[in-house]
Amino acid sequence: MNFWRDVINWFTDPEHWSGTDGVPHRLWEHLQLSAVAVLLAMLIALPIALILGHLGRGGFLAVNTANIGRAIPSFAILVIAQQITHEIGTKPAMVALVALAVPPIVTNTYVGVRAVDADVRESARGMGMTGAQVLTRVEVPLAMPVIMAGIRTAAVQVIATATLAALIAGGGLGRYIIDGIAQQDNVKLFAGALLVALLAIVTELSLGRVQRLVTPGGKASGRPVVAEVGPAGGVVELPS
Amino acid sequence: MIANLATRSRSARLGSLALVSILALGACGGDSGDAKKAASSAPAGATTAASSTASSAGSTSASSEASSASSPAASTESSSSAPAVDKSKKIVVGAANFPESEILANMYVGVLKKAGFTAELKTGDLNRETLSKALEAGEIHLTPEYVGTDTEYWNKAINGKDAPAKATPDPVASATALRELLAQKDLVAYEHSPAADQNAFAVTKATADKHGLTKMSDLSKVASTFTLGGPAECPTRPFCQPGLEKTYGLKFKAFKALDPGGPLTMNALTDGNIDIGLVFSSDGGVAARGFVVLEDDKGLQTADNIIPVLSKDIDSPEVKAALDGLSAKLTTEALSELNKQVGVDKADAADVAAKWLKDNGLA
Repeated sequence: MNFWRDVINWFTDPEHWSGTDGVPHRLWEHLQLSAVAVLLAMLIALPIALILGHLGRGGFLAVNTANIGRAIPSFAILVIAQQITHEIGTKPAMVALVALAVPPIVTNTYVGVRAVDADVRESARGMGMTGAQVLTRVEVPLAMPVIMAGIRTAAVQVIATATLAALIAGGGLGRYIIDGIAQQDNVKLFAGALLVALLAIVTELSLGRVQRLVTPGGKASGRPVVAEVGPAGGVVELPS
Repeated sequence: MIANLATRSRSARLGSLALVSILALGACGGDSGDAKKAASSAPAGATTAASSTASSAGSTSASSEASSASSPAASTESSSSAPAVDKSKKIVVGAANFPESEILANMYVGVLKKAGFTAELKTGDLNRETLSKALEAGEIHLTPEYVGTDTEYWNKAINGKDAPAKATPDPVASATALRELLAQKDLVAYEHSPAADQNAFAVTKATADKHGLTKMSDLSKVASTFTLGGPAECPTRPFCQPGLEKTYGLKFKAFKALDPGGPLTMNALTDGNIDIGLVFSSDGGVAARGFVVLEDDKGLQTADNIIPVLSKDIDSPEVKAALDGLSAKLTTEALSELNKQVGVDKADAADVAAKWLKDNGLA
């Protein structure tokens, strides 16, 4: 019981809500690091996976190559990146997080694009769409739920793993966890873990909302997809 | 289609990694899949595949983190062979399970042999607890110890876990306290060496030269522009940030949480990510990287000078003369260099010790 009271006291202590080691600053650091890592991963993964998915070749290699990033523990990548960059904190952490975020985005994007019904693709071509038009007007909209699921998976993993940055003098919410262990302060440790878990859940939920918003035909968009895909829209089977 | 994928898997040579993608590709059906398959059925499969790998990747990194965080398990294994209590001047020197202790124990064996004793080394996975018990039991007769740490070990063993600390930053006072405690167990400690393995703050040679730094109090002019690196517990431990502020009046520009005197701190110091870092004074890395350890001139750190601890059975003026002669000649810098030869250059502890004794006219 004392422990839970201490945790509540920790969260209500104004000292923990201001300054460099305060929750708002650590949360901001954590979000910044995670967001940049996911965006960088998207910049790397999306073009490759979309093009390979559209062409229908090389995906196996791309997916597996990307998966190497997932097979090596993030902690190992972090340590190696530290020694290569000769930096501590954000930069090596970014390398580890991007390596973690790329695989689910590549896998889901490639798979999503490949999964578009061959008949639909065929019809689009039959209507005279160019390859780029097929990709942007047919394949991407139809694959959107799968692509977004990949990004969401990546984001949640990155949020949870960004705590590792604290091991190499980085900021973020991991600071509470690492410092809590080092200082044998279980309340701080628990508070940090709780904040990371909450952030991961909030991220999962809000990206789920974004996913519905960007999905053509999704309940949130409210726009008819027919307009998106042009005259051939009538034959498109919409993902729910 | 399965055969097709298996062939591709072999060519990709990515082993189990490939499985994930086989699942993912299998779910989507690929080119040969049923053309009538609804586009919406694939996403579910793909997402499942992705999230199952996600959890396995997560647990991999979590477990590696956990294993790195856990300290090496202390051995509870006690030494096996029990030599008869010494009557023929055969002295068994016990070494703990880390290079510095092995180097020192080899030196003890060397100087005792020179003084005409029969001495042998006992190594193994021994730690302070097992060595101290073996000393009490007469299984070993002599071991290199650290004055502050050993004082607290015996203080807690004799006076209970919550006994007030007796170790101090003054090695003379700590050694006196240690001898009083050891006397209750029929053990003896000789003179402590000026060489010490304790918490210390180091800067690079370039930083030391630039600002003329040799001791901690020299930092007062530059501390406000320096970034301090140390273990994550530094901000709350009396030997670290609070002590630096209280004893030396030093307030650093920033603090970076790294590791306790480990490679991360040393790399950060070399790379200039921090200006000053917490190290262990006799660490081989200090010699290897040419760091300058700043003298603790106001006595913030608990002294951990090297001190020989032995059983009363072998206590004699000849043994004392041999060990005191060695202790007097050993310095922290010399010990750091020897630790570097064993830890960094992978030389044998016995060879390193023998060479040093020879170079210093002790063998």
